[in-house]
Amino acid sequence: MDFDFTDDQEQLRDAVRKWVDKGYSFERRRTTVKAGGFSRDAFREIAELGLCGLYIPEQYDGMGMGPVEGMVVMEELGRGIVLEPLNQSLIAGGVLSGYAPQAAKSAWLPKIASGEALVVLAYQERVARYRLDICEAKAAQAPVGHMLTATKSIVPAGDQADAFMVPALLDGQLALFLVERTASGVSTQAYGTQEGSRAAEVTLQNAPATLITLDGLTALEHAVDIGIAAACAEAVGVMDKTLAITAEYMNTRKQFGVAIASFQALRHRAADMKMQLELARSMSFYAALKLNAPAPERRAAMARAKYQLGNSMRFVGQQAVQLHGGIGVTDEYIVSHYFKKLTQLEMTFGDSLHHLGEVSARMQDTAGVFA
Amino acid sequence: MDLAFTPEEQQFREDIRTWVRANLPTDISHKVHNALRLSRDDLQRWGKILGKKGWLGHAWPTAFGGPGWSSIQKHLFEEECALAGAPRVLPFGPVMVAPVIMAFGTPEQQRRFLPGIASGDVWWSQGYSEPGAGSDLASVKTKAERQGNKYIVNGQKAWTTLGQYGEWIFCLVRTSNEGKPQTGISFLLIDMKSPGVTVRPVVLLDGEPEVNEVFFDNVEVPVENLIGEENKGWTYAKHLLSHERTNIADVNRTKRELERLKRVAKAEGVYNDVRFRDEIAKLEVDVVALEMLVLRVLAAEKSGKNSLDIAGLLKIRGSEIQQRYSELMMLAAGPYALPLIQEAMEAGWQGDYPGAATWCAPLASSYFNLRKTTIYGGSNEVQRTIVAQTVLG
Repeated sequence: MDFDFTDDQEQLRDAVRKWVDKGYSFERRRTTVKAGGFSRDAFREIAELGLCGLYIPEQYDGMGMGPVEGMVVMEELGRGIVLEPLNQSLIAGGVLSGYAPQAAKSAWLPKIASGEALVVLAYQERVARYRLDICEAKAAQAPVGHMLTATKSIVPAGDQADAFMVPALLDGQLALFLVERTASGVSTQAYGTQEGSRAAEVTLQNAPATLITLDGLTALEHAVDIGIAAACAEAVGVMDKTLAITAEYMNTRKQFGVAIASFQALRHRAADMKMQLELARSMSFYAALKLNAPAPERRAAMARAKYQLGNSMRFVGQQAVQLHGGIGVTDEYIVSHYFKKLTQLEMTFGDSLHHLGEVSARMQDTAGVFA
Repeated sequence: MDLAFTPEEQQFREDIRTWVRANLPTDISHKVHNALRLSRDDLQRWGKILGKKGWLGHAWPTAFGGPGWSSIQKHLFEEECALAGAPRVLPFGPVMVAPVIMAFGTPEQQRRFLPGIASGDVWWSQGYSEPGAGSDLASVKTKAERQGNKYIVNGQKAWTTLGQYGEWIFCLVRTSNEGKPQTGISFLLIDMKSPGVTVRPVVLLDGEPEVNEVFFDNVEVPVENLIGEENKGWTYAKHLLSHERTNIADVNRTKRELERLKRVAKAEGVYNDVRFRDEIAKLEVDVVALEMLVLRVLAAEKSGKNSLDIAGLLKIRGSEIQQRYSELMMLAAGPYALPLIQEAMEAGWQGDYPGAATWCAPLASSYFNLRKTTIYGGSNEVQRTIVAQTVLG
């Protein structure tokens, strides 16, 4: 039982925090949002810190690190509400390392680690909502490899990514494929998202694809669980900063001749936010420490974590806006952007209601962290 | 970072489990697992069994005969006791007054009082709250006037848990009206058999006389029963409260009760009702999150590397969850929680409970009883004020 970070982990945290504080100002972020929601330059800077290769073994030029390091990094990016989707590189690194055939590993992992290639998960379909076992995308054998026909929605940085990891049905079984964006039959239609990041509809029409694994559901579940743990950690960073911004505002803003931090109704609200933040942080630790557990245990843990995080995010975000008053609902002031980030994170990889259903379905007779 | 206990800690847990299974009387654990009434004898019997083993003061330092366990070991011990169905150790002696006597008492006071606490032979009560001093504890009015080598105590204490069994009571008394309210308080140990002490049980909403009013009418207390210095009692009281950190979240008992909730929900046919089951699922996550919070505090105490400002959260969350599981258990029983049949809450009752659902008998009483948890130990509103201080300054 140990929740301390090692010196190496603290150094990693410091390095990322320094980049966020110095390199990723709110102005830079705003410029990126206006320009479409994704900056290749910023993504390259993240890669230069080594972060894209965090989950990639050293033999493929990665850092070979684990979920605790992933958590540390995502928390810090969350603090700066960074738009560029590092969690996608964590997912791609983890899943390709774990499931892809040798040739695909050699071809892609070093490029993902260096940031040269952005590989993103393209799994969302209109019919599936948050479920992973529902899929209409079809795969077929091709003379060389496979061909995919699919429409995938809200693919992070979809028109900027270099390749997609795509689940599709092959002979009725869910398999996972890799599709290059520049391949024939691939088209993308990009748009901004509520938080300001970029996404796209990705349409595949007999697009050539490389098989990652025939056990697609197992790999997809693992991919999403890596994403959930990363989203939980990112959310903790966002909430931590949101509460700090709110506390500072409450001590500065005066009404009725005094700082509004002196009003008990508002103080208790701040205490409730702190409660939600710490419950969330606890469950983010839990998610990170369960990410390498066997699949059933890991799945159950991610559902528990994401349920808690979703509720915490909604509460902290909504109350931060409320405690700011009018300035909280403006685009100009920073806190509304943190609120929108939290809202979007709740709805990424399954919202609270979805995960409540997962927790409910998996419930055992026992109770607690070790059950 | 590691979620696992060390092999040594796991072995420790096994050893405790074996011992508790061999030594916890089954008639007592049966009552605990089914929320049946515990008698004074039940509580004291288990206390004395622990005392004989040297574990009633399981958090005590070795210098005072404690086992010298780490924060994690203490937690594992408490968890194994709770899961086995041991009654809660009444904290007033071993957890509350003993650390104060150790820290601020004279060697003579330590020799005189600690053995009886460690063995479980002497029943201690807490004399803190008064009719006019609840969350605002520093406004205590019970007066102790020095006359020669004794104090004359007059006044009234309130909400004294199980004070009807009490043999000794530790009290915050007013010895001065100078300066701030906090500066005129002293910490006095009073023999409840002294002339002038009257105990009046107060029946609570569940029908049980769990608390008492304790009246002091010209009670003579020898000055050697004063702990530390006169007018420094507030400092000692705060020391006492600081020993109630992770304990008060009661997460171990909560885990046991969540398991019971699932059994009750199954027996009552609501476990597979989606609306009801989801409420249990929410609680399941609440309990995991609370346990993680507790483990974080314990691990921080063990490593000493990072101090956490989250202990205040434990009381708030722990008490809310206790209320929720008792509420859901009552709701699971539905209308069969409503009959008030006192005898059905006694072990071994053979009568006819409506619908033969005898296990439903104590559910509403437990629910009503646990409303106290967000009120005692510093109300949750007071706790929020303390937490807000850490956020806003």
